[in-house]
Amino acid sequence: MQYCFFSRLSLSIFALFCGCVFVTSAFGAEVEPAVPLKPAELVRIGKFAITNSMLVTWIVAAAIIVFAQLATRKIKAVPSGAQNFWEWLVESLYNFLESIIGRDLVRKTFWFFATIFIFILFVNWFGLIPGVGTIGWGHYNASGVFHVDRPLLRGGNADLNMTTAMAAIFFLLWIIWAIQANGVGGFLLHIFGPKGETSGFLKVIMIVIFFMVGWLEVISILFRPISLSFRLFGNIYAGESILEAMSTMVPALSWLIPIPFYFMEVLVGVVQALVFMLLTAVFTLLIAQHQPGHEPQL
Amino acid sequence: MNVMIAVTNGGFTDMLHDVADTFGWNPWLFLSQVISFAIVAFLLRRFAYKPILGVLEERRQRIAEGLLNAEKIKKQLAEAEQRHADILAKANAEAQKMIDEARESSAHLAERKQQEAIAAAEQIITKARETGAIEHERTMESLKRELGRLVVETTAKVTGKVLTSEDQRRLQEETARQLA
Repeated sequence: MQYCFFSRLSLSIFALFCGCVFVTSAFGAEVEPAVPLKPAELVRIGKFAITNSMLVTWIVAAAIIVFAQLATRKIKAVPSGAQNFWEWLVESLYNFLESIIGRDLVRKTFWFFATIFIFILFVNWFGLIPGVGTIGWGHYNASGVFHVDRPLLRGGNADLNMTTAMAAIFFLLWIIWAIQANGVGGFLLHIFGPKGETSGFLKVIMIVIFFMVGWLEVISILFRPISLSFRLFGNIYAGESILEAMSTMVPALSWLIPIPFYFMEVLVGVVQALVFMLLTAVFTLLIAQHQPGHEPQL
Repeated sequence: MNVMIAVTNGGFTDMLHDVADTFGWNPWLFLSQVISFAIVAFLLRRFAYKPILGVLEERRQRIAEGLLNAEKIKKQLAEAEQRHADILAKANAEAQKMIDEARESSAHLAERKQQEAIAAAEQIITKARETGAIEHERTMESLKRELGRLVVETTAKVTGKVLTSEDQRRLQEETARQLA
């Protein structure tokens, strides 16, 4: 069991590094990606910048808020239309999360996990709307074809800054929720403390082993934001790249070939939103649930 | 292998820098996105989820109250039905008791009336018998007297002599004795 954990962690770290190095070296070799990896700055305010991906997140957030406000403007006892849809979405998500992380935890954390799922989902789907990534500022190349250099809009999750920002905020909240649930001592005990019922010399050995395993757990925890952000970014960016490639592969059929991939990206959008939400929820559950003997001192 | 070489040569930071640069990650853009997402999350929480969660919570409470009331009503109904059944059983028992009492009372009354009727009939019969006996006695007396008189008259006519009082008394007594 312990060996498996070691090898899995080592492989994950190695794969991540190799992946980064491969991508770095590949793009370092002057291979121009079809979809730029970097978001384009639209406005700069000092050192801060408003990028095209950020603009998309604002548009999507505004659309969600407006829809939610319209849906809940005239609340009816028997819901219909927009109210019915919004209630269904929020209630289904609430019940789903409640079945995973429990009633108490969902009451405290629902707003974040709901934001993660709904926001990521609609940002992903927004990126599939024709015009995102293809309308903007650019130039005509030698063959007279217009090439967009600085798109007005970019898929929000196809920006690593965005995905790392979400992962970082989750990481911060995760620490807060973990300390709220366990206390500082309980939190450290949760990571470094021995598990299981042992006594005598075996207990001493277990304390030493679990203390060492705790450091591996710390490394694993520190890598969670990286894996979360790279997973989401990688999937969405890859999807956009595939759509771009399919659109330009056969110019005469550029209206037909991407269609199956559009359906696939619709699915990927849901799956990635679900994966991000589920992983963050499970990470929170793992640290907030009390193991026997590790209950917080009240 | 490249990673190992990079790490051992102290180029780890440079490699991270390259990775970040390749993917367009930079601290200020990251910070901008953190602020942006924090605002978005706050706004969504305040304006998108809070109203609907309030509605859902209110509805959940109403459903819970409704279920509680339904349970209470069900309990009350069961109690009322039980009470109704008890009252009905009690009424049935009382009615049966009254019927039994009435039946018993009527049987007693009939018995008494029968006994009274029997007694009255016996009394009437006795009285009739007594009256019959008196009448018979009276008739017999009258018959004896009449027969005695007829025997005296007949004897006087047959014999052609006038009978004395003593003869008449003797004949009448003889006739009466013969009749008895």
